[in-house]
Amino acid sequence: MEDSLGLGILPFMEQEKAQRLLQAGRDRGADFTELFEEETRHASVSYKDKKVESATAGTDYGIGIRLLFGTEVLYAHTSKDDEEHLLKLIDALAQSRGPVVGARHPSTGSGTMPVSKPIVGVQLENRQRIVLDPRTIGQERKLDLLLRADQAARSFSKKISQVNARAGDVVSEILICNSDGLWVTDTRTRCRFHISVTAEEGGEIFVAGEAPGVQRGFEFFEGLDAERYAHDAAERAVRMLSAGYVKGGKMPVVMGNGFGGVIFHEACGHLLETEGVRHKASVFTGKIGEQIAHSEVTAIDDGLIEGSWGSIQMDDEGRPSEKTTLIENGVLKTYMSDRVGAEETGVVLSGSARRESYQYAPVSRMRNTYIAAGKHTPAEVLASVEDGLYAKKLGGGSVNPATGEFNFAVEEGYVIRHGQIAEAVRGATLIGKGPEILPLISMVGNDLELAAGMCGASSGSIPVNVGQPTLRVDSILVGGR
Amino acid sequence: MISSTLRQAQGPDSGHPINQTLSPADAVDFVSEESRRQGADRFDIVAGESESMGLELFEGKVKSTELSNSRGIGVRLFRGKRPGFAFTERMTREALARTVADAWSHASLTDEVEIDLPHPAPLPEIDLRLFNPDLESVSFEDMKNFGLKLEEIALKTDSRIENVPYLGVSRGSGFSMLRNSNGVFYQSRQSSVSAGLGAVAKDGENKKMGVYSKAGRSFEFDAEFIAHKAVERAVELLNASPLESGTYPVVFSNRVSPQIFSMFSSPFFAEAVQKGQSRLSGKLGQSIAVPEFNLVSDPFIPLMPGSYLFDGEGVAARKLDIVRDGVLQTFLYNLESAKKDGVAPTGTASRGYSGKAGTGFANYMVRKGNQTLDELLTANPRCFYVVKLEGGSGCSAVSGEISIGAQGFFYEGGKRIHAVDRVTLNTNFFDLLNLIRGFSDSYSDSFSSVKVPDVLVDNIHVSG
Repeated sequence: MEDSLGLGILPFMEQEKAQRLLQAGRDRGADFTELFEEETRHASVSYKDKKVESATAGTDYGIGIRLLFGTEVLYAHTSKDDEEHLLKLIDALAQSRGPVVGARHPSTGSGTMPVSKPIVGVQLENRQRIVLDPRTIGQERKLDLLLRADQAARSFSKKISQVNARAGDVVSEILICNSDGLWVTDTRTRCRFHISVTAEEGGEIFVAGEAPGVQRGFEFFEGLDAERYAHDAAERAVRMLSAGYVKGGKMPVVMGNGFGGVIFHEACGHLLETEGVRHKASVFTGKIGEQIAHSEVTAIDDGLIEGSWGSIQMDDEGRPSEKTTLIENGVLKTYMSDRVGAEETGVVLSGSARRESYQYAPVSRMRNTYIAAGKHTPAEVLASVEDGLYAKKLGGGSVNPATGEFNFAVEEGYVIRHGQIAEAVRGATLIGKGPEILPLISMVGNDLELAAGMCGASSGSIPVNVGQPTLRVDSILVGGR
Repeated sequence: MISSTLRQAQGPDSGHPINQTLSPADAVDFVSEESRRQGADRFDIVAGESESMGLELFEGKVKSTELSNSRGIGVRLFRGKRPGFAFTERMTREALARTVADAWSHASLTDEVEIDLPHPAPLPEIDLRLFNPDLESVSFEDMKNFGLKLEEIALKTDSRIENVPYLGVSRGSGFSMLRNSNGVFYQSRQSSVSAGLGAVAKDGENKKMGVYSKAGRSFEFDAEFIAHKAVERAVELLNASPLESGTYPVVFSNRVSPQIFSMFSSPFFAEAVQKGQSRLSGKLGQSIAVPEFNLVSDPFIPLMPGSYLFDGEGVAARKLDIVRDGVLQTFLYNLESAKKDGVAPTGTASRGYSGKAGTGFANYMVRKGNQTLDELLTANPRCFYVVKLEGGSGCSAVSGEISIGAQGFFYEGGKRIHAVDRVTLNTNFFDLLNLIRGFSDSYSDSFSSVKVPDVLVDNIHVSG
């Protein structure tokens, strides 16, 4: 099979081989068998210390085999694609449960196990508009972008001591086929630009960064305003270098839009994945239909936003992606689900099964998750706080789904005094519990924005967008000095 | 010979199909020959293969079973002094040839670097016991039985344990191979096994999760001990309350002190110093910590996960004093940063097949003190004993900033008063090094390459 770009032979196994492997799963008693074959090409160039520090490319390749016995998941993965080896893995998986009763004999066909359904190809509606396939373009075309970013950051201030800029692209060819007869392929193309700027003065160092990412082709790099991102990162690094420390304690906090959405992602999003719910490891287990948030809050996980970093045409079980309303006016509507999670929790499939690569079994994960825009202007939200913290830009965070305990770092923060933004402060951390915070989001701005990030959980590190408008949280613990 | 091999590989009737998967050893040979054919007279190649099997249990049943086999190969070659990198997990001749071609084309983009690849040298004759062939016989059945025992014990140990959402048992093994154009060729193997669980305790609306796991080179674990530890860690923090904001002496348990110290490994790397990313720049030979602080990078401790005989670039491993009596002795170097500073590499390059060479500690060992944990906890009229840290996003290895959530216990008059949660700690790592008031005489029993005893630190800002 020759691909349309003339890039060579597509990596996928032949349908006859797939059919034999799927049948082998059936023969060993599995209720469901799935094959996930992947070839992913990564390419990046990084510019640091005024030098092209590295230019690298690589190919990940492998096959994941999933057998389901009821909702028991058996998963194997390998970088070897020969049929004998794959059959041995299927055998080893099935035998891990003990002897197979009623197994169909591989050569005689005798036995009571059903025959795997014949494979039927599915054509996905192509939502990706890739103009320039990165695999067809030399990496030297990234250099100009990186040089411009470096210069823009360094020219901002003499306090800028280091700049690290990187342009990376990833193209994955995916095949998913299963014993229900599904055969579907997908090409996933993502590009991301990172810039990290270090400011230094009097022994103090501060690092600030920007990292826009999209589900688009190389045209993203060619149209990117690298100078703006470099300038924003440099400005923040210099400003925060001389910032004082926030005085800790409980206070009202206004969260900035965009990456501020990491609060919902960590504090609530992970708790709404069936993977946590089915293990009774989420505090939102059994709460569908209940008011879990302030009535101002509507939260959505949308896999269909065109070109968005967290979008997927199909999920990693081969189901078309969709837009899922998780919370509507404060009421929990559903969870994000995968095949096993949907069966165990009784919710409908939401096209949310995701995995980093063939090395992981798919589980329910987020895509582009955000709190929907409300009616207030950002100025109104800020003006409502007499004394508090404006967390303009959050860094990363983490959550324990079983207890709901979360934490975030504030990368760029300001004191709010009499409803006005006052001095910059650094070193703030926000901690609390998801279920306790949701009812305290009392004002939602009208300036929804999304921002790219990588989310790590049991099925690996995946691209997601987080997002929100400017929000007011009535009270949250701010760690400081 | 070299070019004929490739022609044979790519020829239509060669008998060696270009899509036939090679073993890692054959792939290393092929990439080596192909690199020379491209024109690279200097290169190094890293290849690896790993296998693992494991399962997760929930409510008396196996929830998931996993079996894996991964392999890959990475090449760094030089066009003059310009390096190019590429890697692949496809071990066919076609994919390998493309990988070398990628690396060669990248070597026309990068800037020149000065690197002297090492020559073959005798490795230290130490049996690190990193590979245990007996682990190969640990079956799914063994793992399942052990896991079921863990869950059963956890649930019956304390009536407040409502659930064990995380429970896993697994084993894995791997080998890696390194070859360079000077004739260096080293191989290493390792294997390990692990078992652990996360148990959730509930008291009214209050929930806490306790996690404990054991890992090592042999499957000789005590299920009672592991399960009881997880339960103890969940139950002990129930009904915790915050502390009043202020500055406190803090004792970091040896469960969490490795987490704090290892977040600040990179300032000790020469590469970070050279690129303005380390606050230890210019501090060589100077005091950076209290005299009780001694830090060693030790690659020769048998069984430990940070042990090795050669580093990621083929340089023989060495034990290094990094900080002695509070004085910074050396930075950690790889080939590139060593050449830049005109010193010998320290055998501390880290590299997997899919990445460029970085720097890393072998086993990060902070020397024990001579006080007991109890002595540290009673050294002040009051203190905060931290046993759990939450997140690390508010910590920066470059600036030294530490802003992190913590849980533990408040001690007053030498007695445990109450469990603590919903507080954050705020300080700077480089200040903390000079605020250390004592180390205990014990490490945690975790299977980790970072060992730091319990440590008492003065004047940490706590917000609650």
